[in-house]
Amino acid sequence: MGANEYDAVIIGAGVAGLAAASFLAEQNLKVALITRGEPTACLSTGAVDVCSKGDRPLSAIKKLPPEHPFHLVAEETLRVSLDKFQQIMKAAGLPYVGSIEKNRFILTALGTFKTSCLVPATMEASPQDASESLHVVTFKGLKDFYPGYIISRRKNAKCSIYDAGISSTMSLAAHFEERPFFEKFLLWLEKQNIYQDKIAFPAVLGLESAAEIVNTLAVLTGKPVFEIPTLPPSMPGRRLFNALKKNLRDKGGDIYWSWPVTGIETTDTVIETVTSFSEGHATSISGKAFILATGSFIGGGLTATREGIRENIFHLPVHIPGPHETWFDDNYFSMNHGIGRVGIAADAAMHPLGTSWKNIFVCGSILAETQILKNGCGHGLALATALAAAKSCAEYLAR
Amino acid sequence: MNYEHCIRCTICVENCPVFRVNPLFPGPKQAGPDAQRFRSDKERIEDDWLLLCSQCKRCEMACPCGVEPAHIILREQQRYGKEHPQTTAHLLFANNYYLSALGSLTAPLANVIASSKTGKKIFSKLGISTHIPFPRFSFRTLRNERMKQSRTAKKAAFFHGCFINFYRPDIGRKIIRLLSALNVDVVLPPQWCCGLPALGNGNLTLAKHFAQKNAASLSNYIDAGYDIVYSCTSCGLCLLNDYPGLLEIPQAKKLAENCYDLHEYLLKLIEEGYAQPQFREWPRRVAYHIPCHLRALKIGYPAAKLMSLIPGLECEILDDTCCGLSGSYGFKKSNEVTAVQLGQRAVSLIRKTGAKDIVADCGSCRMQLGGLSGMKALDPAEILCESLGIATPK
Repeated sequence: MGANEYDAVIIGAGVAGLAAASFLAEQNLKVALITRGEPTACLSTGAVDVCSKGDRPLSAIKKLPPEHPFHLVAEETLRVSLDKFQQIMKAAGLPYVGSIEKNRFILTALGTFKTSCLVPATMEASPQDASESLHVVTFKGLKDFYPGYIISRRKNAKCSIYDAGISSTMSLAAHFEERPFFEKFLLWLEKQNIYQDKIAFPAVLGLESAAEIVNTLAVLTGKPVFEIPTLPPSMPGRRLFNALKKNLRDKGGDIYWSWPVTGIETTDTVIETVTSFSEGHATSISGKAFILATGSFIGGGLTATREGIRENIFHLPVHIPGPHETWFDDNYFSMNHGIGRVGIAADAAMHPLGTSWKNIFVCGSILAETQILKNGCGHGLALATALAAAKSCAEYLAR
Repeated sequence: MNYEHCIRCTICVENCPVFRVNPLFPGPKQAGPDAQRFRSDKERIEDDWLLLCSQCKRCEMACPCGVEPAHIILREQQRYGKEHPQTTAHLLFANNYYLSALGSLTAPLANVIASSKTGKKIFSKLGISTHIPFPRFSFRTLRNERMKQSRTAKKAAFFHGCFINFYRPDIGRKIIRLLSALNVDVVLPPQWCCGLPALGNGNLTLAKHFAQKNAASLSNYIDAGYDIVYSCTSCGLCLLNDYPGLLEIPQAKKLAENCYDLHEYLLKLIEEGYAQPQFREWPRRVAYHIPCHLRALKIGYPAAKLMSLIPGLECEILDDTCCGLSGSYGFKKSNEVTAVQLGQRAVSLIRKTGAKDIVADCGSCRMQLGGLSGMKALDPAEILCESLGIATPK
């Protein structure tokens, strides 16, 4: 097999793409992942929502509308995909806690609760109700994180502010990875005279060692410590992305960055090659099978124009539930914008409907009828459909 | 310029190495697409923090919307360089080619001066950082090399760049032997600095001057049936991206179509069945630091693929960190703290891999990482040569 020929080519570096690629790479298949840029997963809270419309994700899934892609995936596949995910993150030193049986809450920067299923261990101690008193520690000049929102919603909450000399999430996180900075911070923290039940931080406590840092803080203060996800740039999202990326590489997958697909070569029944253009010669990557995980509109998988909505790489038929007037609800904050249902419809093998190509599978938020915001099913759906697509892809390759 | 496509998602900011350590730099989003909306060609540009961008292009690699923040900033850096008096360090580094030529010519003396205490004092006065030793000039440059010609099917014109020519001609010789061993005729076409140091120091006119001369020379070789092979990823990026873009070189398209990264070229030879190198076992664990500009070339990591063909060689890829030096950027006193902090982070991640040696395609990455870690920093071509048993030239 040539250097640019692969068993499977995965397009998209989000949770779905990276997971699908990893599931295939661990079966000793030769895998390439190509991506135009970094995924919207970097902007996410890092938490894995499976289905947030209830206390129990599994029964909440059963109540989803029949066309929802979760119904294409067996419960077993969902369970296995979450298990595998937890193993990957544990190996990366960034374990996730939680279980498919029961949802849990994480405290947001507004002092409200977000319902999720698996959460980074750094958010494990997040309060589940209003009873515990909180001490919020923040950093001078940190934008978009105002402890006042949290304090005003809770009794017995206080805050203190550390002047780190730097104020962006990214530089704070990078500095927490450095011993001298961390030690200076600990000295300051000791003097804060914290009497509340728990200590909250914006999610800037390091990059690859975040779990360890939160642990150290909890041991030294003798109190549960947890992170609150911030607005982008979101460190928990970046940690997740970095860990999945490293995991894929460790399993032998090749990753092509900044590689927008500009052309495809196909026959009537299969896709053979995808091509990208750099200034000089085009580079081509061939695969026996392809997995499309380019995400929805923000991720760049779909584009809406006046003429209609197109899938950007293979021009697969896009499922559009209604005419233009139904795409947007009058109420901006409504959860029922019709555009949230747009995507690629697939069968139970994650094979897109309405195409004659046999070697293409889809997964993640590009799927139709997901309504991710409404149902709270982002990364969970990505993982489950990624495993389903990877399975079908492996079966196709074995044929 | 498509700064309108920015959706302000801040992924570029997450990827900016300078923003991480230098609070004076507002980050690629603000310095690029955000500020661009308020800039006008009719007004003098006053944003001195533009010069803090090291042009690593990581923002462009990360952007999901195809905005090119580094490119926007590079353009404005040229304007700033034109409208404001230049510091000595900027002037010197823009003319790096001439200085290096002079240094090589007087190598025995120049090296003594550069490494002496007085030399370091002079560097410091000129605004040049001495956090890592200045590279040693080589008296015998690659240009003095005599080439053997045997009429083979493939002919390559080697664009060696300044680093190999003036500082490490030994690597250049190895590359020539490597290509010859795979049945490729190598010539050294007349060539000058690619122009990137001039661009990086805000001297568009000088960059254009170099680019025009190179383009004319290389273009002749392409017409004569040569492929252009470069080994410095930053030279390559300049040839492929800046010649057709900012430098508006008429032959740029032709150049880009015929230019190959060394390892990309070797891989192509193997793919085409033209060469069948027999790699011998080379048991070693190495950390492969991916230079930012290799990423930006959008050709994948061809050297990693070649190294994966070597039995026994374990290669861990590290592509999330910038070494911080960025050519002449980190040698400026004003950027020293940034360069050292970034370099140390890169080194600490390399140490975690437990690798014995560092590998990097880019000479300046090797200088920085080798200098800060004390580890050996190799060019991938050196490893290929060892594994193929190509003798080290004298």
